[in-house]
Amino acid sequence: MATHEKVDVVIVGAGASGSTFAAVLAKAGKKVVLLESGPDWQPTDLISSDMWGRRLKPAGAPFLLQGKNPYGYAYQAGWGVGGAALHYFANFPRLMPNDFKVKSEHSRGLDWPINYSDVAPFYDRVADDVGVSGDAKAEERWRPAGKPYPMPPMKTFKNGDVWLKGFEAVGIKMTPAAVGMNSTEYKGRPACLYDGWCHVGCPIGALANPLVTYLGEAKKAGAEVRARATVTRVLTNSAGTRVTGVEYYDEKKEKQTQEASVVVLAAWAAQNPRLMLNSANDKHPNGLGNKSGLLGKYMMAHFASGTFALFDEDIENHMGTIGAQYFSYDRYDKLAHKDKGAFGSTFIVAGAAQKTSDLGGFANARLDLFGPALADFMKRAKRGLSRMTAFGEEMPNIENRIELASEKDEFGMPLGKFTHTFDEAAVNLWNANFDEGLKVAKATGAKEVWSGRGNQPTIHMFGGTIMGTGADNSVVDSFGQTHEIANLYIAGPGIFPTEGAPNPTYTIFALSLRGAEHLAETWASIAG
Amino acid sequence: MDAIERRAFVKGAGLGALAFTMGGAEVLLTPAQARSEGVPLRTLKPDEAATIEAVGETLVPGAQQQGIANFIDQQISIPAEEALLEARILNVKPPYANFYRAAIGAINAASTARHGKPFAQLDAPTRHAFIDQMRQNKIDGWKGPSGGFVYLLLRSDAVDVVYGTMAGYASLDIPYMAHIAPTKKW
Repeated sequence: MATHEKVDVVIVGAGASGSTFAAVLAKAGKKVVLLESGPDWQPTDLISSDMWGRRLKPAGAPFLLQGKNPYGYAYQAGWGVGGAALHYFANFPRLMPNDFKVKSEHSRGLDWPINYSDVAPFYDRVADDVGVSGDAKAEERWRPAGKPYPMPPMKTFKNGDVWLKGFEAVGIKMTPAAVGMNSTEYKGRPACLYDGWCHVGCPIGALANPLVTYLGEAKKAGAEVRARATVTRVLTNSAGTRVTGVEYYDEKKEKQTQEASVVVLAAWAAQNPRLMLNSANDKHPNGLGNKSGLLGKYMMAHFASGTFALFDEDIENHMGTIGAQYFSYDRYDKLAHKDKGAFGSTFIVAGAAQKTSDLGGFANARLDLFGPALADFMKRAKRGLSRMTAFGEEMPNIENRIELASEKDEFGMPLGKFTHTFDEAAVNLWNANFDEGLKVAKATGAKEVWSGRGNQPTIHMFGGTIMGTGADNSVVDSFGQTHEIANLYIAGPGIFPTEGAPNPTYTIFALSLRGAEHLAETWASIAG
Repeated sequence: MDAIERRAFVKGAGLGALAFTMGGAEVLLTPAQARSEGVPLRTLKPDEAATIEAVGETLVPGAQQQGIANFIDQQISIPAEEALLEARILNVKPPYANFYRAAIGAINAASTARHGKPFAQLDAPTRHAFIDQMRQNKIDGWKGPSGGFVYLLLRSDAVDVVYGTMAGYASLDIPYMAHIAPTKKW
């Protein structure tokens, strides 16, 4: 086993959150090493194909899935440098003020230890850093004012515009979607081509993936990225009071140790608790930072209610981006669908480029069809099909959790066991959003409309290392610093105590920027 | 730089065809080419490939000719991390060959129990009715991965080879608009 020279910071995971920490700390003069279990992707690897895009999806040790709504993680997780943010949709909605005090205001869920106003400046900063296109003024019907986005909204196409009449009919106001994409050239990166291949990676850099934003900055400032480095344990001193580095296996599957003054776990909401549980020792018998017993608990997922509308005319549905042209928070009140027994926010998007295959491809818009009927549908849908999606929020439930299984991976590390079940309020919200989606679709005047029902999907992942006010109710503070070990940080959506309803990456960037800057500012007291 | 120039900037930089073995040498082919040139199977047995072709063709017309069996055979013969299969994003636990063998076994066992012969020997209407029951988990005595999941996954593979390629987009007259095009239009 080789031991590498001690560095200031070792970051586990080179996705959105790890890259942000790396950029801030490297620019602050710290010696930074990122360890990433997957390949070292380059922009030239990002082939415009749904099949070839699957190479960006997880290929490491699988999670064992349990519960009534097993978490389908593989579609949305990352594998390699850039992480999930190499293939994300780059919708950039924010959390709203009502997301931060759900328990105080509704006696359910959890409170964040911070407010919207604590995060808002970082949303504005991230927008400038990575480039966001949108209409901030229009969004201010739902949130406090902030800075304008650095770029105007993206172009819209008929496949998005056709929904506006339907939304207006049911009283839902749509605004141009904020997206982490370039509507104009930005910081030397070109404008978007609107060809809809965002979700398999944007090689031209029009989409704000880590390679062309924070990770690029980090590398320029001297951060080192070691790909195919699979971390299995976080190491501590004999007293268990400080972490000293991590143990990992390199691309030759040889064991290595990287010592560091600070460890940042940015490996993913499910993998971080797996690592911390596997790092148990005599001073932390239940896993690192787990005095609360909450490590791995309160895992959460979004769910989506997709509604389809098929038009006779050519609505240019091959054009646009894979995310959204329009979005709305008009159903964001936690009680918006109270009459249906639902609880939680809904975030609505409409207008995405249609591709033929993959989970989101339009062949799956009618999953019941096969044979000649499917062939006929493909011909009818190729120019006239569009979709709107309502994302729903589930409340944190302590029974939704990550644990270690008895089965082990190739490095001898126990696999993670992931248990997940939606509660009744979430199921009701999912159904309520289908009902409203159909009303919207019918009001568009489309020739055919239908709900894209199947099993209730799990989309985006949160929790497992939630933030709170102390070690009695959480794993980390609002900066991601673990309550029990000062030089161990967690980054990413795992620290969200509630999930809200919007796509999470903008908030991941914002919280990571906030946490990393706090670490840099308080370095002397934390790094020792 | 205009849009076309930017596309051209990155065009041709990537991979796109699959590596098949012919006469001891590795050649890059599409699955349809592999089928038409009689590339030997590496993992699937002939009767397993016949089942895949019959199921694939029932699910998506054209899947047999587009080489669905050669596609799956090649994909389950390479390391899981290189796989392009939808199994990868549907949380199927590698090695993927285990899933396909279990699915094929379940289909043929149920077909034999119902009709006295394996699926590939059924006529087209019987195949269609069988798949319709399988997708709804309505086949009594089914043993293996759930029929609904087998339907989803094999249908996805068939959609991939028929509609997921550049040639598939062209067949529907949909502009492909690649940043980095797969080679061989695949």
